[in-house]
Amino acid sequence: MLRLTLAQMRRSTGRLAAAGVAILIGTAFVAATLLAGGVLTRTTNDAIAARFADSDLVMGGPQAFAPQDADAIRAVDGVAAAEPVTATSVALEAGSRTVYQMAVPAPSDPRFDPLEVVEGALPSGPGQIAVPQDVADRLGLALGDEVANVRYVWDETDPEADAEEVRDELTVVGTLDDPYGAYAQMGGAAVVSAQDAATWAEEEGDDGTAPAVMVALDDDASLEAVRADLLAASPQDATAQTPDEYAQEAAAAQTGGEEVFTYVILAFAAVALVVAALVIANTFQVLVAQRTRTLALLRAVGANRRQLARSVLTEATILGVLSSLAGLVVGAGLVQVALLVARGADLGVPLPTTVTITPAVVLVPVLVGTFVTVLASFAPARAATRVSPLEALRPADAPRAGSGAGRVRLVLSLLLTVGGFALLAGGVALGMSGSPDVGLLAGVLGGALSFVGVVLGAVFWLPRVVGVVGRLLARTGPTARLATANTLRNPRRTTATSTALLIGVTLVAMMSTGAASARTSLSAALDDQYPVDVMVIGNGADGTVPQDVVAAVTAVEGVDDVVPATDLYAELPDGWGLAPTAVDPTEAAGVVRSPDTIAGLEPGTLLVPEGELQNAGLRVGETTRLTGPDGQTLDVVVALGSSETSLLTTQDARALAPDATTTRLWVSVDDPSDTDVVAAVQDAVAESGTPVEVVGAVVERAAMQSVVDTMLAVVVGLLGVAVVIALIGVANTLSLSVIERRRESATLRAIGLSRRRLRWLLAMEGMLIAGVGAVLGIALGVVYGWAGAATALSLLGDVSFAVPWRDVAIVLVVALAAGFLASVVPGRTAARTSPVAALAVD
Amino acid sequence: MDTTVYRPLDPADPADAAGTPAAGPPAVRARSLRKTYGTGEAAVHALDGVDVDFEQGHFTAIMGPSGSGKSTLMHLLAGLDTATGGHAFVGGTEVTGLGDDDLTRLRRDRVGFVFQSFNLLPMFTAKQNITLPVELAGRTVDTAWLDTLVRTLGLGARLEHRPSELSGGQQQRVAIARALIAQPDVVFADEPTGNLDSRSGAEVLSFLRRSVRELSRTIIMVTHDPTAAAYADRVVLIADGRIAGDIADPTPESVLAGLDALRTLELPDGDRSDKAVRA
Repeated sequence: MLRLTLAQMRRSTGRLAAAGVAILIGTAFVAATLLAGGVLTRTTNDAIAARFADSDLVMGGPQAFAPQDADAIRAVDGVAAAEPVTATSVALEAGSRTVYQMAVPAPSDPRFDPLEVVEGALPSGPGQIAVPQDVADRLGLALGDEVANVRYVWDETDPEADAEEVRDELTVVGTLDDPYGAYAQMGGAAVVSAQDAATWAEEEGDDGTAPAVMVALDDDASLEAVRADLLAASPQDATAQTPDEYAQEAAAAQTGGEEVFTYVILAFAAVALVVAALVIANTFQVLVAQRTRTLALLRAVGANRRQLARSVLTEATILGVLSSLAGLVVGAGLVQVALLVARGADLGVPLPTTVTITPAVVLVPVLVGTFVTVLASFAPARAATRVSPLEALRPADAPRAGSGAGRVRLVLSLLLTVGGFALLAGGVALGMSGSPDVGLLAGVLGGALSFVGVVLGAVFWLPRVVGVVGRLLARTGPTARLATANTLRNPRRTTATSTALLIGVTLVAMMSTGAASARTSLSAALDDQYPVDVMVIGNGADGTVPQDVVAAVTAVEGVDDVVPATDLYAELPDGWGLAPTAVDPTEAAGVVRSPDTIAGLEPGTLLVPEGELQNAGLRVGETTRLTGPDGQTLDVVVALGSSETSLLTTQDARALAPDATTTRLWVSVDDPSDTDVVAAVQDAVAESGTPVEVVGAVVERAAMQSVVDTMLAVVVGLLGVAVVIALIGVANTLSLSVIERRRESATLRAIGLSRRRLRWLLAMEGMLIAGVGAVLGIALGVVYGWAGAATALSLLGDVSFAVPWRDVAIVLVVALAAGFLASVVPGRTAARTSPVAALAVD
Repeated sequence: MDTTVYRPLDPADPADAAGTPAAGPPAVRARSLRKTYGTGEAAVHALDGVDVDFEQGHFTAIMGPSGSGKSTLMHLLAGLDTATGGHAFVGGTEVTGLGDDDLTRLRRDRVGFVFQSFNLLPMFTAKQNITLPVELAGRTVDTAWLDTLVRTLGLGARLEHRPSELSGGQQQRVAIARALIAQPDVVFADEPTGNLDSRSGAEVLSFLRRSVRELSRTIIMVTHDPTAAAYADRVVLIADGRIAGDIADPTPESVLAGLDALRTLELPDGDRSDKAVRA
């Protein structure tokens, strides 16, 4: 039976290879994620371990080590040297420059020194310092130069006294390199004498304890024996670990961040694998259908059902193992290449030269890949057992994958879809009513359930959608009608192929819709916080912004409009002070990002932000009296404002404070994403010499948006893998159709279909399958994206529902182009079919 | 209307090999048509210089034992395959030497095919199958002609059925209608009864004959069945890649006699002609 399985695999090499690529990509994704996670962990570990240089053991634990603890450690038999891990911060001043730098004491044993001396030597006594090469360059220091450590020392006996500035003049005796990144996380370290380090630490109020002690052993000492003795001689709960052990534990305690990162990426890999499973299931279904006659023949000559099922599963296992191994190699290769590139780019972190292959890194992708493949082949294997021996005797018709689906599936998918969407709606409602955490939980669960329901039920409705789209297309000519009819011949296969794409597209559309909504909502929130793109605020004694500054700002290229504003101080009748800004509403309308900012601003009105309203004890609609700095009064009606400060009109301000000058400029820019304008404004203002401050909301807005955009790009990139796999599925389905329809293609050629139109026929089939999957995926994704945004962003205030039209268009075009591309190779095969083949009789 | 009678053929006489033309130019012609598979020692001459004319408005059968070259001859005449040498004409157009696009257009507009295994598109109804060639050509269906075809072929009640709901004979009748819908110069039928029982086969053959008589079509049929060949107006015998005989107004008996003559004259060992004699 195995020989037969292998023979059948050889006959279907092409099919299997295409399915294998899907699994290969999925496992490569998993392997690369695990390996990259490993590299990250190792880089962190190495950086921590590097600090301990060549020490044999590191004493650590919850308790710090006092100097006498270190002495006790030194006294242990077999210990050659021991040194507490300490560091102190110094401010090195040379000329007019100051560099803040960590400094460590010169090690008592060379085994404790992770640094390399570039020039000179390590300090041998007080008053000497060795500095990192880059610090020496920044401060312009050479060997023998003087540099001061500037410290502020408090007199503990006199708490009222100011700190006293102390300058320790130090001689540079060496420059250092940190080849292992031992101090990379602290921005490098200078080395000073142990005495100096101790003195400075003491003066800063340091009690002289250390979190860890490095231990170097005698050459002939046994690590395990000394370890036991050390623990006995140390404070309770102390640990004695090798530097690697210590680093692993420290890194794990420190972050856990890398692991979260790895899990998140693995979730994306899981999506890719689910899509790959669909492609595999599809391929095997067709393989079984193609082999119906062979299978029936086997049944007729005595093979039992179990043997047939086993044959299919064996085939899947072989395919799974081979593709997963290939995926592992590809994944490892990618990470290795990335590592080489990163090392070449010199990121300032010492990266390992090669990836570390651990059993987990090998086993997890291979097992997962194989498992997914075998799992995906279960349904086809069952189909194989249903082939009756009689079918060997029937004439060979075009193989048909089973169509239609069970009632159980219909009910299950309906329950999941309806229930899931109900839960999702509930989540949104919860989120909108102020409990976004519970809402999100319900929303994610509901979204996931409803999506599973939609995918399960796709076989019921997706072919109908294809039919409707096809009927619209069919008006364009007979080729389109043929394409539609062909696509609907195998509803289940079309559904599976289209669904594979739908999954990826839904997720991509969801993320980009969510991001677009987040961007718009954030933007709205930012509009409230920063009503204008750039503000120029007077910073002098009276805060006036003189006319020449106004002119200078107006002249900056990229500045659209400049509106002067005045900051006032006014008191309410109860003595509460307000600091409203006064602008001309008409002028201001031209510069504010959101018209809400100045909505309702008119003479006689004071716009007060919601928070301020309560503090000042004001109610919307009431009339209150403001008293200006010189005693003038003004009656105003209180209205609710949306900006961060209270607002008045310039007219009213004049009544309140006739002498007030312009203290603030509201500036709008031509292009809100152009952050260079702020720098240009700053330069223009600096030239005028007036003390003013420039605040660029536009910079913050752009930064915020770039965070959202970057995250979106990463997520979409990761999901893109799933889309690529799905497109392989489209190509696979098309080429299967071509093989099955060989005679039919030949007939069409014989009755007058040109090669070009035959290729076009397949292209239309590909685009129909891909296009429908993409359109439905986009629709679903937009709904999910909105639901997610409504739930999660409701805290920000009003959520705007945005459709990322550009992204939607890109996804659609990519799907159609890919559907087209997927048809190229199958189309060439079909077009090569000679019309003579139509005459052939099996 | 055809006065040709069977007579022994002298292959050395070109006039004989060219057949006897009736009134009007021939619908299909072959001149020194050759087809060789392989090269050198292994070369097989499937067609070895064939000259033959097929008259318009006639139902002609090409007969011969398996491997005689009858199918190859049809492929070359219909422009389905490329010739090694010589010329083939459909009407005034030389088929040999046409590019793929021109051949496609020729097949679409001027040639019809009927296949042994029907080759209907399973997802289309009978009517959609029939009208497909016209639609591919981007023309509108001539409904009067469609009605005539449907009536002649007795398909009226079956037009909205899919192939899977039709019997073999009905499917083949749909295929004949499809071959005739574009009013082609000639219809090539390749063993059209090969997949049918004898009653359906007889039915299909009489429909083919009616198409020629009542609708003035030209049909060239390849077969190895003497009973089928007897439905034709004329039988062209082929053996070893050459025209080996010509029977006018054939009967099953005269065809068998012709085949026997072939066997004794051309193929003394007779090992390849078993199929032809079987029927």
